[in-house]
Amino acid sequence: MTASVTAQAIAPVRAFRRRPLGPLSVVQRVLAYTLLVLMVLFCLVPFAWVVLSSIDGHAGPNVQLPSLSFDNFVRFFTSAGTPMLLVNSLIIGIGGTALNLVLGVAGGYALARFEFRGRRAFMFGILLIRVIPAPATIVALYLIMVNLKLTNTLFGLILVEAVLQLPVTLWLLKGTISSVPMELEEAAWVDGNSRLQAIRRIVLPLIGPGLGAAAMLTFMGIWGDFLTPLVMLQSQELYPLSIGLFRAFSDHNHVDWGLLAASAIVYVAPPAVLYTFVRKHLLRSSLGGAVKG
Amino acid sequence: MTSITSTPIRAAAAPQSSSPGRRRSKRTWPFVLLLLGPGAALIVVFIIVPAVYGAYLSFTNTQLTGFAARDPKWVGIDNYTYLLSSSDFLSSLGQTGQFVLFSAIIGQTVLGMVAAILLSRPWVRGKGLWGAAVLMPMIVPEVVASLTWASVLSNNSAGTLNRLTGLFGADPTSWLQVVPMVSIILVNIWRGVAFAMIMFQAALEEVPVELIEAARIDGARALQIFRHITLPLIRGPVFLYLLLTTISTVGVFGLVYFLTQGGPGGATRLAAIYIYQRALQFAQIGIGSAASMILLALVLVLGLVYVRLSKVEV
Repeated sequence: MTASVTAQAIAPVRAFRRRPLGPLSVVQRVLAYTLLVLMVLFCLVPFAWVVLSSIDGHAGPNVQLPSLSFDNFVRFFTSAGTPMLLVNSLIIGIGGTALNLVLGVAGGYALARFEFRGRRAFMFGILLIRVIPAPATIVALYLIMVNLKLTNTLFGLILVEAVLQLPVTLWLLKGTISSVPMELEEAAWVDGNSRLQAIRRIVLPLIGPGLGAAAMLTFMGIWGDFLTPLVMLQSQELYPLSIGLFRAFSDHNHVDWGLLAASAIVYVAPPAVLYTFVRKHLLRSSLGGAVKG
Repeated sequence: MTSITSTPIRAAAAPQSSSPGRRRSKRTWPFVLLLLGPGAALIVVFIIVPAVYGAYLSFTNTQLTGFAARDPKWVGIDNYTYLLSSSDFLSSLGQTGQFVLFSAIIGQTVLGMVAAILLSRPWVRGKGLWGAAVLMPMIVPEVVASLTWASVLSNNSAGTLNRLTGLFGADPTSWLQVVPMVSIILVNIWRGVAFAMIMFQAALEEVPVELIEAARIDGARALQIFRHITLPLIRGPVFLYLLLTTISTVGVFGLVYFLTQGGPGGATRLAAIYIYQRALQFAQIGIGSAASMILLALVLVLGLVYVRLSKVEV
């Protein structure tokens, strides 16, 4: 009975041509590889400065051969201001993701399992929210936060970040929970589980991949956000890495290039690691659209 | 918790995975409110209300500080007439238009399509590695993306781009001063190629190989095949991509603000930066909100245009 649910589309098999290459094909291939190399150089060369300078004891504003040293990273973790940036980023990222997932699983379950008036309108509405560019609402959002006395607090920022990512999470988890066969849950009820127990024992374990994807998308969205913390936070001791890097870079006269590059590497590491985990999943599903922004 | 234990419903043996198990009774409302209520309420408070409140603010002279902060007044469409006759704002809209057109609609789309097509060739080796390299600019936070380009566009002779042009005998240029708009367009193309590539790869996979083969046997050249077979078949995804990238490019703030802060002399003051500076640096909330509403209206119009275009027959 669940065959239709689990049935996978069979991937189309690409036709391989086995005849020997004509001169035209050779030219084509050389051209293709040249284009690929150029594109990859375009994509990767800008990273040279950050990577090389982070391990350079005498880093400057330009690419140079590094005098190998991990001094910059040591300084990042021991100097007065920078470790706090990482801690704040982690608090905002993890707190926001946790809140987002709790709201998302509950809401996604309601959307997947109950038929109620306005459900379709709600789904459509939260899809439409994507059309609103963030800068267009940030001003009014700031005033609302001022009135709620939530500006310049990590709690306020966590709340806002979690909610800004919630429409995508709801869509994702609604789809994932819908694909768990209802019969499994019913079987659990028959075995004497309450509805909540059935959710915890049956649904949650089965939506692991979707939940993981939602968690990583949310975390990466919050982690990379620049505008919201820039507007909401005024105290230096609350700044996350994004704002800290910006302040350090804009301090034109005293930029510590090595420390800046090391901070950037520390800042990049979590999303880079997470992305390698979700990449396959993201490319397979239509979630691609959720990554941008 | 016992109230939550309820009689199991016989799931209709519907093949659609979305329908079984839903109940149409008044008793579902408590569950729905309990589960979806908090999230929905927060979405309303932090996303919907700001949009509506922003519309209201745009008709007032609200300020962050000073007299108008305590006692904002209704000023009708004054903010709008001010903005639409302000050369600063109009040029910022124009810059946003250029930025979207050249970086997203042309640059990212063309390069993303080229990358997707190259990586869809069956004989290309190391697809995973090529793809991963192209993805790098997208997965790093925007602040880091800007920082990497700060070194490329650096104005001294050892800057990466200056070294490259130096190979051809050109003098060092301070790119962000001389060609600021071109520079940020280049940065945004770099950042967005991966997203275009992903969207187009998914679309190309749906194109039946048989059609391509048949056309090839009929003697069609690669470009003809792309123009007359592939492109019409992936029209829907392409317009969806254009819609998404337009929206997100209009919303680009940090990537540009980090590099130029709107300068030099307002040459890269995109609408998003204009709104930020007006409302939060000059404290003119009313004018900033009106600018937001104009931007929002333009995005909605563009969105509708895309949706219409994507449905037009080929």
